[in-house]
Amino acid sequence: MIQIKNLKKSFRTEEVETLALNNVNLKVEEGEFVAIMGPSGCGKSTLLNIIGMLDNPTEGSYNFAGHEVAGLRESQRTQLRKGNLGFVFQSFNLIDELTVFENVELPLIYLKMSKSERKEKVMAVLERMKIAHRKNHFPQQLSGGQQQRVAISRAVVTNPKLILADEPTGNLDSKNGIEVMNLLTELNQEGTTIVMVTHSDRDSHYAHRVVNLFDGQIVTESQNRAIGAII
Amino acid sequence: MFKNHLKIAWRSLRKQPFLSVLNTLGLAIGIAGTLLICLYIYDELTYDRMFADAERIHRINVDMKFGGPDKQVSQVSGPMAAAVLQDIPQVEQTLRFRPWGTASLSRADSKELVLENNTAFADSTLIDMLGLKVLYGNPKDALSGPNKLLLTKSAAEKHFNLSDAVGQEVVFNESQTYTVSGVIEDLPKNSFLSTYSVFMSMLSHQDQNVNWGNHNYNTFIKLKPNTDPEDIAAPLQGMVEKYLIPYAQEFFPGITLEQFEASGNYVRYSTIPLVDIHLHSNREADMSQNSDYKDIYILSFIALFLILLASINFMNLSTAYSLKRSKEVGIRKTLGSNKMTLVRQFLTESGLMTFGSMVIGIALVIVVLPYFNDLANKSIAFPYLNPVFWGILLLSVLILGLFSGSYPAFFMSRFVPIRVLKGTGENTVGGSKLRSTLVVFQFVVSVFLIIGTLVVSQQLQFIQNKDLGYEKDQVLLVNNVNRLGSELPAFKERVKSLAQVGNASLSGFLPTPSYRTDSSYFLEGKMNQESAINMQGWQVDFDYINTLGLKMQAGRTFDPSITTDSSAVIINESALAVMQMEPEEALGKRIFNGIGEEGFSHFTIVGVVKNFHFESMRNQIRPLALHIGNSSGLMAIKLKSGNFEGAIAQIQTLWDATAPGIAFDYEFMDDSFDRVYQNERRLGTIFIIFTSLSIFIACLGLFGLAAFNAQKRIKEIGVRKVLGASVSQITYRLSFDFLKLVFIAILAAVPIGWIAMDRWLQDFTYRIDIGWTVFVLAALLASGIAILTVSYQSIKAAVMNPVKSLRTE
Repeated sequence: MIQIKNLKKSFRTEEVETLALNNVNLKVEEGEFVAIMGPSGCGKSTLLNIIGMLDNPTEGSYNFAGHEVAGLRESQRTQLRKGNLGFVFQSFNLIDELTVFENVELPLIYLKMSKSERKEKVMAVLERMKIAHRKNHFPQQLSGGQQQRVAISRAVVTNPKLILADEPTGNLDSKNGIEVMNLLTELNQEGTTIVMVTHSDRDSHYAHRVVNLFDGQIVTESQNRAIGAII
Repeated sequence: MFKNHLKIAWRSLRKQPFLSVLNTLGLAIGIAGTLLICLYIYDELTYDRMFADAERIHRINVDMKFGGPDKQVSQVSGPMAAAVLQDIPQVEQTLRFRPWGTASLSRADSKELVLENNTAFADSTLIDMLGLKVLYGNPKDALSGPNKLLLTKSAAEKHFNLSDAVGQEVVFNESQTYTVSGVIEDLPKNSFLSTYSVFMSMLSHQDQNVNWGNHNYNTFIKLKPNTDPEDIAAPLQGMVEKYLIPYAQEFFPGITLEQFEASGNYVRYSTIPLVDIHLHSNREADMSQNSDYKDIYILSFIALFLILLASINFMNLSTAYSLKRSKEVGIRKTLGSNKMTLVRQFLTESGLMTFGSMVIGIALVIVVLPYFNDLANKSIAFPYLNPVFWGILLLSVLILGLFSGSYPAFFMSRFVPIRVLKGTGENTVGGSKLRSTLVVFQFVVSVFLIIGTLVVSQQLQFIQNKDLGYEKDQVLLVNNVNRLGSELPAFKERVKSLAQVGNASLSGFLPTPSYRTDSSYFLEGKMNQESAINMQGWQVDFDYINTLGLKMQAGRTFDPSITTDSSAVIINESALAVMQMEPEEALGKRIFNGIGEEGFSHFTIVGVVKNFHFESMRNQIRPLALHIGNSSGLMAIKLKSGNFEGAIAQIQTLWDATAPGIAFDYEFMDDSFDRVYQNERRLGTIFIIFTSLSIFIACLGLFGLAAFNAQKRIKEIGVRKVLGASVSQITYRLSFDFLKLVFIAILAAVPIGWIAMDRWLQDFTYRIDIGWTVFVLAALLASGIAILTVSYQSIKAAVMNPVKSLRTE
């Protein structure tokens, strides 16, 4: 599903040019659950952003489901992203002014789905995430765990092929963290591909495969044997 | 402490250059605009106050009706001055002017003529009563005998060395010789005498009509100290019965005041303080072009709006951007700063900014003042050395700084430290409703001003394009043709024979500003004062009607082949209406003109001319009678289309051949026409300029708020983009909130604008109806400008890479 070849990404500030990613090669098959790990500043999030088509690589190629993404214009990337990708962030990134229901509904609006269809889909996903009773609340009225469940609802409501999660448990206590990881595993088992950036060893054990980044390069890749059997 | 405040203030201004520049610039423009208007208003309000005991000087006015429409005149009869001085003990001194318009002056020993725009006969009290400064000559002697003349410094310099001028002889209008008996300082620009340069002694004025029936003298009286003008109202009105009625009895034997008034006629005398004339006198025969006090109100409102808009900007931007400083406030409070210290800190900042704005504003005014003077026809000097001006200015700026700064200061100092430090402050801090309200207010003002500007310019357009009833285009007006003397008829025929010339006419009476005279006419068989018809009576020649393209309603034009036409008259439709006759009914009727030295002259009505506008469209078209006569001040020449310059050159060649040495002075009639509406046009331009300024200020504020809003919603924009929102969707979202406010403002401004401008239009007898297009146009303009302002920031935010905006977390 994802094929990345010789990918480079550099950032230029006034004085220095920083190479965030250096010759990254990565392949992710459909239905895989991949964790990306590494110390702060190693380029994890940059890689995730490129995979999520939020950013363009400086060099190299990125093929997503048969489409070459590198070099696409922003509007074309937006088009390709819509409905195919779901995002889960560490800080949830819910819109404070919108209710739970409206937050989850948002990606469907951008897909120009009819109102009745939207309602049906949003309610289904909220039921599934056990947060439907809070649909009229605003994000600040929810606990962290609940907020992340809303964020995951929003990520999956379009039935995306790929979910990108950036430290999804980083702002949660362990109980809520495990709950979120179980949700992601469940989605993966239903066929959704997941790429997750994490600092947490515990979370990485939920993945099929762990990719270790250091200074913008992949240093090791390891297969997990005992999926979901930790703790 | 204050020094520390100042230091911190300076640093925080530098830290937010965008905000500081917007705030300072907006306020500076507001201050500059307001200052300009204030200087203008001050100039208008101080008209004529420089004269000695100005507040004791009054002018006698007369309102009268004697057949025809009523008239408000600023001139009274010649004998009035002597009568009030004799009969009313409170009157200390009197001064009469008899304006004589443009005249030529030459040295007795030279042929060179110099035209002076405004001359007047004046009583010998001129210098003493007004306290004029005499540079050369004896003030007591200046106008005390016949053939004495007084020059202003500028007028004298054209002919003589200033110190030699007194005692020299000058020839006035190439006929009368005068002796220069004094040179005075040029008259102040903001006085009713500003355009006058030559005064002739009244004793040299040969007026055959010095009687109570002719009203030709601008008459000023100085009251004794502590006299209430009300006290002389009754004795002044008493002049009617004491002098005017006996005079009328010469024509209507035995008439009494009661009979006179019973027929609906009246003569009412009143006084107006000299210092009120400029803004409150809109009468026939005013000596200077006056302003309307209503314009002063309008300008005051605009000035108030300007400074209010700028101040609102300041508040809006400061409170908005204060959210960025909430952390600073939290830390300061945690470290023990109390509320008042913070308030003082923020007030120092706003004070510093206001002061900077004032400096920039003053610099702007100094730069712009010469252009503004040109535009407004003023000579306002920047009052560098006036301590009162600086005192008021500094005080106003201090108040402005406190007013604009206090809300943001108190608003910020209220932040609760725990909340802002935890980062939840942004959502709990209010103030956005107030900001929205203020933005709505700003746009109400802007839309209102746009509506005002559109209506004023449409009315001007209307006047410009209205069918005037005569053709003012391609008509050349040649001045001073009476200089040609006996050559004049031949000159006219030679001009008429030029291929480029359509027609030519000799008359001092034209629809554009020129001579006017009115008198009472009577229909044959109705020789009593009840039936008097007050009409303009113009002497014209046989070519007049054709040259000006006047249209006949009935009857015929003057015909040189009909010998009796020397006593023919053509009246206009308004005169017909006063006579209450049908056109055909009036033809052949005889009318009498009762006032004139040779007694009654009679005229036969041979035609009725369609009404044409010969006064401002503020007024109704008055009754008018045209008859054949010699009044050769001006020559109107209708040119054929084509090469005007060539035609003018040919006419000038003829002129030079006929009258060598006399200057050929001409203008186009449409330029002369434009002068009638000079005030309106000037007001229109001033309107446009200050409207643009206020819109600009409102937009600066909107621009800053949009930037702030985009920044505040940066996370939301990022999330939306990640979820698939397009640039246009986000731009729309960000802009819509502001456009909603502008839309509300439009709804509020439309009725206000309609009511206000409808009232303004009431002053014009001939006016436009305010159509819906004005409001649609104003709405489109306002929202268009707002969209441009806001969308720049919105698009900037929308195209931003969401990775960046989400990283700011």
